[in-house]
Amino acid sequence: MTSTESPSSVRKVVVHLRATGDAPILKQAKFKIPGTDKFAKVIDFLRRQLHRETLFVYVNSAFSPNPDESVIDLYNNFGYDGKLVVNYACSMAWG
Amino acid sequence: MEAQKLVWEGAIPLQIHLHESEVTTVPAPPPALILAPRIGYLPLLASLIKPHFSGTLPPGADTIWFEYNGLPLKWYIPTGVLFDLLSAEPERPWNLTVHFRGYPGSILIPCEGEESIKWSFINSLKEAAHIITGNCKNVMNMSQPDQVELWRSVLNVNLEAYLRVSSKLKLGIIGNQYTATSNLQSSKSGQSLGETDATGNVKIGRVPVRLYVRFVSEDIDDLEDAPHVDSWEKISYINRAIEIQGEGKCFTLRDALKSLLPEYFPENFLIDEEPSSVKGEDEQRGSTEDASDTRTKEGGEDLCEYVSACCQSVEGELKFVRIQGIEPKLETPFTWVVTNLINPDHFLHIIVLVKVPQLTV
Repeated sequence: MTSTESPSSVRKVVVHLRATGDAPILKQAKFKIPGTDKFAKVIDFLRRQLHRETLFVYVNSAFSPNPDESVIDLYNNFGYDGKLVVNYACSMAWG
Repeated sequence: MEAQKLVWEGAIPLQIHLHESEVTTVPAPPPALILAPRIGYLPLLASLIKPHFSGTLPPGADTIWFEYNGLPLKWYIPTGVLFDLLSAEPERPWNLTVHFRGYPGSILIPCEGEESIKWSFINSLKEAAHIITGNCKNVMNMSQPDQVELWRSVLNVNLEAYLRVSSKLKLGIIGNQYTATSNLQSSKSGQSLGETDATGNVKIGRVPVRLYVRFVSEDIDDLEDAPHVDSWEKISYINRAIEIQGEGKCFTLRDALKSLLPEYFPENFLIDEEPSSVKGEDEQRGSTEDASDTRTKEGGEDLCEYVSACCQSVEGELKFVRIQGIEPKLETPFTWVVTNLINPDHFLHIIVLVKVPQLTV
């Protein structure tokens, strides 16, 4: 599903990727991605970077949004200090 | 309370066909007829559907998934929402095709039965809690037995059990007095909306919304003629919070939707009384714009009028708004909508159909 085309949605969002538990730390932890991208893109990116099929990805160390949600919606609802904090773990961290 | 009970009792009559590629016997098995709870999720029907078709399935492992007219259905969207969004009126029962093989992993996220659905539900609940209170502590600190009971209440469509457990989460957006009296003009509701708790950072009055926007071409008069949705890319999926403003007394569904989709709410555009108001606006435009002689401008008057009527460049006209199977009037107080039509995951799932001059998505 796509998000609507409005001027605000072409904004880029800073995503801060944070390792949780024994997950490897990425060399680059902050990325700018288009707000219209779905959260699925973030998950795919992490999968490719970490070469892992199974990955648990959370926002604000709290919940896993469904992959169809747009990054701009997540940023507007849950972002702070100008970024969206995304945590990733190789095993379930927050049930 | 009464309306919430009706929402929980709501069910969709389904006629489920096994996809022909999975039929190995002659004659093919007859379709299965099932009444599916609106607030439920399709894969949860597996135990009811499987016995109908188990005798004919080819060898292999089961992964159940559903499609409607070729569109694989997202399993984490409540059944009632899928129906309100995708079904062609007046299709009863709703004809779905079930598959037990060949899971379309590129379109649907994996589903490993009830556990996946429970996980998705709890995460949705956490997300809603985060929007309402600013964090998910209420859900995360829930005891394991309570969490299980909450999930089972949804699974078994038991409103009484649900209310008992979910009240512990203290996620009420609108004060309880309001629910009890169900007095739309109650001054109590106004007071409770603006409250913050002792920590001061709780924002009461924020309603988590999952909005599904479907577009149809303007030249379709009858919705029955609208083409089937053949791709999820054609539906806009918006997750935002609606802030109840003005102490909630006069904040209507129209105000709520306008805050999310301002482009479809040009000023003075009353979509409720659609035929008369469209006409009325035309006349109004005629009288004002004739004076400034916009008709000579290049690009045609229609375009000029649209651009001037809309605050943004997106053109479209709201056709209907559907929540939990009903099409509430836009004058309905939003607090009533939230109190009665909220989904068990504390999100308000709203379906909006927009008529657009050309389909661009």
